[in-house]
Amino acid sequence: MSTFQIVNPGNVAGATQRGGGSAGLPVALYTSTGDTLVEASRKASKQISRIPYYSHTNLVVIGEELAKEGIQQIFDAVERNPQFRPAANIIIARKQTAKQLSSVLTPIDKIPANQIIKTLQFTKGLLGENVDTRIREIIENFSLDGKEVVISSFRIAGDWQKGAEQDNVRTIEPSARLRAAELAVFKNGKLVGWMKNEEARGVLWVLNKVKQTNVNIDWGESKEGLSYKVMRAQAKVKAKLKDGNPIISVVIKTEGDISETFISMDFTDPKQIIELEKKIQQEIKKEVRKAVHAAQKKKSDIFGFGEVVHRTYPEEWKEMKKTWHNKYFPEAELHVKVDSFIRRTGLRTRSYIQ
Amino acid sequence: MWTRSKGKKEKDTHAYGGLAPNGIYGTIDQDLHTNIEKVRDITGNSADIIIRRFLLGKDDNFPAALCFVSGMVDEHIVQQLLLEISVQLSLPSSSCGLDYIEQKIATTNTARRIQQWHDIFSSLMSGEVILFIDGMLEAIGVSVKGGEYRAITEPSTQLSIRGPREGFTESLATNVAMVRRRIQNPHVWVEAITLGEVTQTNVRIMYIKGIANDKIVEEVRSRLRRICIDGVLESGYIEQLIEDESFTTFPTVYHTERPDSVAANLLEGRIAIFVEGTPFVLIVPTVFIQFFQAVEDYYARFDIATALRFLRMLVFFISLVAPSVYIALTTFHQEMIPTSLVIAIAAQREAVPFPAFIEALLMEVTFEILREAGVRLPRAVGQAVSIVGALVIGQAAVEAGFVSSAMVIVVSITAIASFATPSFAIAISARLIRFALMVLAALFGFYGILIGVILMTIHLCSLRSFGVPYMAPLAPLILENIGDTFIRFPLWGLKERPHLIMNTDTVRQKDGQRPKPPQRAEKEGDSN
Repeated sequence: MSTFQIVNPGNVAGATQRGGGSAGLPVALYTSTGDTLVEASRKASKQISRIPYYSHTNLVVIGEELAKEGIQQIFDAVERNPQFRPAANIIIARKQTAKQLSSVLTPIDKIPANQIIKTLQFTKGLLGENVDTRIREIIENFSLDGKEVVISSFRIAGDWQKGAEQDNVRTIEPSARLRAAELAVFKNGKLVGWMKNEEARGVLWVLNKVKQTNVNIDWGESKEGLSYKVMRAQAKVKAKLKDGNPIISVVIKTEGDISETFISMDFTDPKQIIELEKKIQQEIKKEVRKAVHAAQKKKSDIFGFGEVVHRTYPEEWKEMKKTWHNKYFPEAELHVKVDSFIRRTGLRTRSYIQ
Repeated sequence: MWTRSKGKKEKDTHAYGGLAPNGIYGTIDQDLHTNIEKVRDITGNSADIIIRRFLLGKDDNFPAALCFVSGMVDEHIVQQLLLEISVQLSLPSSSCGLDYIEQKIATTNTARRIQQWHDIFSSLMSGEVILFIDGMLEAIGVSVKGGEYRAITEPSTQLSIRGPREGFTESLATNVAMVRRRIQNPHVWVEAITLGEVTQTNVRIMYIKGIANDKIVEEVRSRLRRICIDGVLESGYIEQLIEDESFTTFPTVYHTERPDSVAANLLEGRIAIFVEGTPFVLIVPTVFIQFFQAVEDYYARFDIATALRFLRMLVFFISLVAPSVYIALTTFHQEMIPTSLVIAIAAQREAVPFPAFIEALLMEVTFEILREAGVRLPRAVGQAVSIVGALVIGQAAVEAGFVSSAMVIVVSITAIASFATPSFAIAISARLIRFALMVLAALFGFYGILIGVILMTIHLCSLRSFGVPYMAPLAPLILENIGDTFIRFPLWGLKERPHLIMNTDTVRQKDGQRPKPPQRAEKEGDSN
C-alpha cells in the first residue's frame, strides 16, 4: 500500500491568494494499493486528477511494519525511474504507519514533508542524534558487504487522529506534532532495533556526521555541571587484523567552546582546561563505546567497520565477508581515542556563579 | 523589386537617365535670356528657384543673372556677392572678362567656371549660386552653401556618461569636419561619391591612408559604385545594398551617431561612410563583438570596462533566451526548478488557461506592440500608452488570469535586458531570434534551445563583413586582438590593431606604456 502526499500549490502560503482563497489544505493524501510500487503509483491515477510527478519527491516514509519485513525491494523502482531523485530523504514511521505519519498537518512548514526534512536537517546539525539518510546512501549500502543502513525515524507526538484536521494548525500547541525519534538499525534490509540519545549520537560520532552538538560533563559534585559545545568534529576509523581478528580504532577530534557552566571555575588556568578536555574525551568515548556495543549486540555493522577492513585487507576480506556481521563484527576489539580541544570559553572567562 | 529593375537596367543603360542631371545635355548659350529660359524650363519654373537679373559693367551694358535655390544658400552671402560683383565691376579698371570676375569674387571659397548644363544643374541643386552673363559661353558657379540645419546636439541613440557630448547632424560637411577635428592628420582621406540617380545624394568615404586596408577600401568603393537606385535617403539604404548577407538578423554594418566612435574605428583601420542628410554614419568592416563595445569602455578604466562587457553579453543572452527558458522549464523540466519555487509557479499557473508557450507568446507580443506604439507616438500620447501598458501587462493581465505573474517577471526581464543591450541593431536581432527560440523551447525544451543557440552560433561564424569573419577575433582566434573582446585589457595592453581588418602597420603603441611610479633618484643616478 502506498500513500501519496500531494501538494496543492494554490493553498501553499506564499503562492498568490487567487482562486478560492486559502481555506483549503496545502496537501492532500491519496492511498492506493498494488503488488508493486509502480502498480500502486499507476493505480493512484484513478483518484488523482494530475500526473504524479516524482522529480520533486523529497521524502519517502516507510512504515515500521514494512521496515521489519524488509525494505530492500522497494528501491529498485525508485532507482530505475528517471524522475525520482536519489537525494530524497528517507525516514521510518515509528510506532505508526507511514500513512498516519503523513496525515499530520504542521503549522510552520505548511507542507508536512518539508517540516520533516527541515527538522531532520537542523537537528542533525545542531544536536547530532539523527541522520538525514538519502535514498542514494541506502542503495549504496545495499551493495556493500561491510556496512549496514541506519535511518532516522519520526513519530507523532500527541493525538495522531486530530493531526489530519485543519484545527491542528490553528492552535498554538498542535494536538499532533511530528518529532524526530530513534535511529532505526537495519540488518540485511530488515529493521532489527532502535538507538536513541547518547547511543544515537555515538553512531554519528563514528560515522563522522556530527557537526555541532553539546556534551555535558560532571565536575566535582555537580552532575552535568558543564556544557561543551562542539563546533567541529572529525572521526577516522582504522582497522587492523591480529591473529585474524579485527581491531578497530576510532580516532575522534573535536573542537569547541565552553557554552554553559554551573560551577565556579578558573578558565584561565591551562591545567584546568586540560582537565576539562580529558573529562570531555571520556564522555565522548563512553558514548562511542555504548553505540558500538549496542550495534555489536544487534550484529549489525552500521559503522561500516567491515568496509574499512575490506579496504585495508582486501585479500583477507574475501574470506571474512560472509561471516562478518555474525562472527567478526560482534567480537571486534574497539579502541577509541578522542582528542577534544577547547578553543574558547565563550564571551566570559569567569562565571558570576561563585 | 530593385534586383528586378536592375536586370532591366542592363538592357536600357539609362533607366533614370531622363531624371538624372547628367541626362541634360548641351552647353550654355551666349544669350542670357535663352539660358534663363532653359533653367526655368528644366526646373518647371519652381517657386524656390530664384533668378535675379541685373546689369553689370561701368555702363551697365552687361545683363547678367544670379540663379540659386532659396533655402539652400546663405542668403546673406548672396547679398554680399551681388554687391561685390556690382561694385567691383563698376570700377573704372574693371573688365567684364570671366577671368576677372572669377578672380575678383573673393567673398566665397570656391568659384569655378561651368559650361555643361548638367554641371550647372547639379551645382545649382547642391546649393551653389550660378552667375550667367550675357554673351559668355561659360557660367560661374559660386559655392555659398548654407541654409538651416539642426544644431549639433547630444546623440540620442548612443549616450555616454563620460565622453564627448556631440553627435552627428544631418549636414554632411559638419559631420566630416567633426571627425577630422578629432584626427588632425593629412592621411585621413575623404573620397566623394554621389549616389541616387534622382536624389544625387552626397556620400563620403573616410579612412586613414596607411592604416586602412587598401583592398577593403577598394571593395567599399566598388560596392558603392555598384549601387544604382533612384534615391538614397538614409545610410540604411546604403547599408542594405552593400552588406555581405541580406538574409540574416545580425547587422554586418555598424552605424553610429558619435564622432568619437567613428574616429576610434578609423584608427582601427575601418572605413566610415557618411551620407548627406542623416546623422548615422556607417562603419565597415564590422565584427560581432563591436556591438557590445561602447565608446565609454575605452574612456573608463579597464576593470570596469571588462565587467560591463561581461554584463552586456549576459544581457544579450538573457534577452535572447529568457522567455524560452521559462517555457522549457515549465513545460518540460519542472525538476530543475527548486521545489518551493515550482510550487509557487504551479499555483500561479493553476488559473492560467493557456500552455506556457501561448502564455509567453501573448505577453511577448503584447510587449512588442507596446514598444512599437511607444516609439512612434508623440511624446504627450506616449505617456498614456506607458501607463496603459504598465497596467495591462503588470496587473490586469495577471488578475484576469490571462498570464501568471512569473511570466510578467520573465517578460520584464527580457524587455529590460534588451534595452540594456548597447546597440539597438543587435537588440533587434535578438528580438527576432527570441521568438524562434520560444517555438523550439515549446517543442523540444532545453534541447531545442540548445539546438537553436548552436545553429545561431554556426550562422554567426559563417557571416562575413567585407571579407572579415564576423566572429573575429574569436573565430578565427587571433590572440593579439583578444584583449579587446569580452574583456578589455588595460590600454597599454592593447598593442595591436585588429589584424584581419588591416594588413600593414598593426602596432599602435610603443612597448612599456604601462605607467610606473617614479624611480628613486639614487637608483637612476640623477641628481634631481
